[in-house]
Amino acid sequence: MNKLGRGQRDKLQQFMLITGASEKVAFQALKASDWQFEGAFDLFYSHPQPRSAADTRHIEELYNRYKDPYVDMIMADGISLLCNDIQVDPQDIVMLVVSWHMKAATMCEFSKKEFIGGLQAMGVDSLDKFRERIPFLRSELRDEQKFREIYDFAFGWAKEKGQKSLALDTAIGMWQLLFAEKHWPLVDHWCEFLQARHNKAISRDTWSQLLEFARTVDPALSNYDPDGAWPYLIDEFTEYLNENGIIEKGKLSEWNYKS
Amino acid sequence: MNQREIIDFHEGWKFMQNGITKLKSILEGAAETHFTSEEHIMLYTTIYNMCTQKPPHDYSQQLYDKYKESFHEYITSSVLPSLKERHDEFMLRELVRRWQNHQVMARWLSRFFFYLDRYFISRRSLPPLMEVGLTCFRELVYQEVKVKVRDAVISLIDREREGEQIDRALLKNVLDIFVEIGNGLMDFYEKDFEDAMLKDTGAYYSRKASNWIVDDSCPDYMLKAENCLRREKERVSHYLHSSSETKLLEKVQHELLFVYATQLLEKEQSGCHALLMDEKVEDLSRMYRLFSKISGGLEPVSNTFKQHVTAEGSALVKQAEDAVSQKKTDKKDVVGVQEQVFVRKVIDLHDKFMAYVNNCFLNHTLFHKALKDAFEVFCNKGVAGSSNAELLATFCDNILKKGGSEKLSDEAIEETLEKVVKLLAYIGDKDLFAEFYRKKLARRLLFNKSANDDHERSILTKLKQQCGGQFTSKMEGMVTDLTLARENQTHFEEYLNNNPTANPGIDLTVTVLTTGFWPSYKSFDLNLPVEMVKCIEVFKEFYETKTKHRKLTWIYSFGTCNVNGKFESKTIELVVTTHQAAALLLFNTSNRLSYQEIMAQLNLSDEDVVRLLHSLSCAKYKILNKEPSTKVISPNDVFEFNGKFTDKMRHIKIHLPPGDEKKKVIEDVDKDRRYAIDASIIRIMKSRKVLGYQQLVSECVEQLSRMFKPDVKAIKKRIEDLITRDYLERDKDNANLFKYLA
Repeated sequence: MNKLGRGQRDKLQQFMLITGASEKVAFQALKASDWQFEGAFDLFYSHPQPRSAADTRHIEELYNRYKDPYVDMIMADGISLLCNDIQVDPQDIVMLVVSWHMKAATMCEFSKKEFIGGLQAMGVDSLDKFRERIPFLRSELRDEQKFREIYDFAFGWAKEKGQKSLALDTAIGMWQLLFAEKHWPLVDHWCEFLQARHNKAISRDTWSQLLEFARTVDPALSNYDPDGAWPYLIDEFTEYLNENGIIEKGKLSEWNYKS
Repeated sequence: MNQREIIDFHEGWKFMQNGITKLKSILEGAAETHFTSEEHIMLYTTIYNMCTQKPPHDYSQQLYDKYKESFHEYITSSVLPSLKERHDEFMLRELVRRWQNHQVMARWLSRFFFYLDRYFISRRSLPPLMEVGLTCFRELVYQEVKVKVRDAVISLIDREREGEQIDRALLKNVLDIFVEIGNGLMDFYEKDFEDAMLKDTGAYYSRKASNWIVDDSCPDYMLKAENCLRREKERVSHYLHSSSETKLLEKVQHELLFVYATQLLEKEQSGCHALLMDEKVEDLSRMYRLFSKISGGLEPVSNTFKQHVTAEGSALVKQAEDAVSQKKTDKKDVVGVQEQVFVRKVIDLHDKFMAYVNNCFLNHTLFHKALKDAFEVFCNKGVAGSSNAELLATFCDNILKKGGSEKLSDEAIEETLEKVVKLLAYIGDKDLFAEFYRKKLARRLLFNKSANDDHERSILTKLKQQCGGQFTSKMEGMVTDLTLARENQTHFEEYLNNNPTANPGIDLTVTVLTTGFWPSYKSFDLNLPVEMVKCIEVFKEFYETKTKHRKLTWIYSFGTCNVNGKFESKTIELVVTTHQAAALLLFNTSNRLSYQEIMAQLNLSDEDVVRLLHSLSCAKYKILNKEPSTKVISPNDVFEFNGKFTDKMRHIKIHLPPGDEKKKVIEDVDKDRRYAIDASIIRIMKSRKVLGYQQLVSECVEQLSRMFKPDVKAIKKRIEDLITRDYLERDKDNANLFKYLA
């Protein structure tokens, strides 16, 4: 699998996501159709995998292990148990990736459909396989495109049901988590700034634009365009950085630089 | 008569030659008799015959040549020598004489030789006789002497410039030669005279200017320049050809004005700035007249004007600020006399400089714009925390209310209102003015303080003309409401008459207002005295007979009450607000009440209670006694009915000053602006569907500029809010692009 080129790996992931097939199956299908999606889909759907039934049964068994006694969902206790089983800390960011695969609507709970769909998407039908998968899931964070999707997903997932914005504390927590993976030197200043000056919930637009900002604007703000369409919160952040001497004339002050 | 006798050439020519000789001697001034018609006919006929004879005796060509030769011969033998021996003015005179002679000669000879003109010249495509004559003169005389002549003329012109009297008619005649010698073309005049004349003119004025600019003040220099231009123009009318006028004046303008424009305008003591400071209106007018003629001449003048107006305006602002800062601290938030004086002065300043624009600067757009820009700068600065919008609104209020600080005649009021509305054009935050004006209008209307209905309507009309119907629609609604309210009151009184049991026992007048038109008021749940509660209920019943679909909200803060105060010495009728009345009536049941008790009973805020108790115990009329008897209300105070109070009047009004409206007005306006920005963004995006950030912002600013100058940050925030509300979204690939979501 390591011999695959970048483009092929992307195709593999996409195929798995769309079809819910395991990596092996996906690889076979794509290889057989010379890495063309059309052919691979044809192949896949015309040869229904006998194992998919078995897969689903196993996954359902797992679901029943974790599901809440009173509600047809996996709740906080079930999730704790799951984390224990797969030897992962519940606060570990990989759980976010898992939730992403599940397309979970909200944190700390999985519906049956989400759980089953997610495990299929990850190509997992047993705890062993799950444990084995963990490193791979972690690695998905390093993929630029996937990180963006996971990051954007995180907003909807972390916010309260029925709310349009994300509570500040939760947002800060998520940012700390996410930017520990994908390093952004200004993340701490950003969180400080929000607590000192903003103290209100974060809108979706601000959330997604922040990633752009972290990705494209250099930490010394040398290529930041103040007349651009950045959300006003980000504009105020840059002012805050300038006011407090964190950024001096386009250079990040030495002792504040955290890499 | 069959065959004519053939005239032999030499014979014929000899005959002609005699005629020519006679002509010459006439020209030379000899006492000769003029040609008789017989002689004329003979000469003509000779030519005719010699031309119509059969070959080899048709002598047309030879005669043509001889004709030409005649001129040649005369010119070389007589004309040229006489010119060569003369100089300067004498030469010029001789030239004119010789030219005139030549023209006579040409005319006469052409008549004699006329028959050649009829057939010969056209058959051979030769120049006609007159032209031949002209060409001879030109080639033999003109070309010889033209330089000398030119120089002589120019030197005469320069002498005239220095003040000498010269023979203008002579110059006219000489220059006419330059013109006529071209036979329809101006080339000779231009190349042989005009070019050199212009060059000399340029040099002449350049020399003069270089001296004047050092020695003379700006006004003096300008006066000289104006005079020079005038004289040069006269020169053209006297002897130069009219086509020289533009070029000549341009040359003079260039040397006198264009070259030295900056130096002139920037002269320390007497340049443009100094003239404005010293109000030298006439000099400024001259400056305008002169500089408007050179390209780019007016821009520096209008800039200096703009700077001057801005400086004067800013000085007024500073003056007002200084005066205000010397006021007592407790009156700081109230717009006072100093600010009113400021507005007056700004109006006067505007009048003064508008007069400049109209009179000195002849209404030129550059200066209108300079005035506008200058006023926009300092009219948006505000004085001591009060924006100009507020100041203007207060100023209007003072004029329009009864007992206002301005005591003016009707005409003066109209004029002033007109000027105030004009000033409004310079203020960016027009919506702020509208809101302040509305608030004050409400007070005037509700407390019946409006001095004159016509003036109220008149200013609304002017505002409507200037700012559009939307600006004044609410205010007009307010004025109409009052009329309707009066009708309504009449019906109410009828209702009471018809239902005597419903009568609350107190005379009640209710003014029903349409919510949308009036400023928003917080309605407090004032605990009404029992007597008043019944009044409210009776009115409600009545109102429900008229319409069931409306909800009444009572605003007690604007009510007035007439309360009888039974004091020890006499009963006095007190005119107070409903709030004050409610407080006073509490003392009907207990003689002594603490601040806290009063507040609890009335159910009002601290702010209102403080104001109200102050008016009753620490102001002009002490209806209540306060312990301790300080001038400031504190929550620990205790109040007592002052039975000993008395006044020589039987009827007194106890004034309750209005609370600080400023903050609320600004809040309300900010809220309205947010809606306005939202509406504008949506309007723009709905029609454009997709638009870049910068463009969206600039279109938004433009749309809203009639009412206020929106802050770019505010627009940004509204865009984000609209994204959250799913009206807009960012483009996935370009975060600077927005899309409208239907």
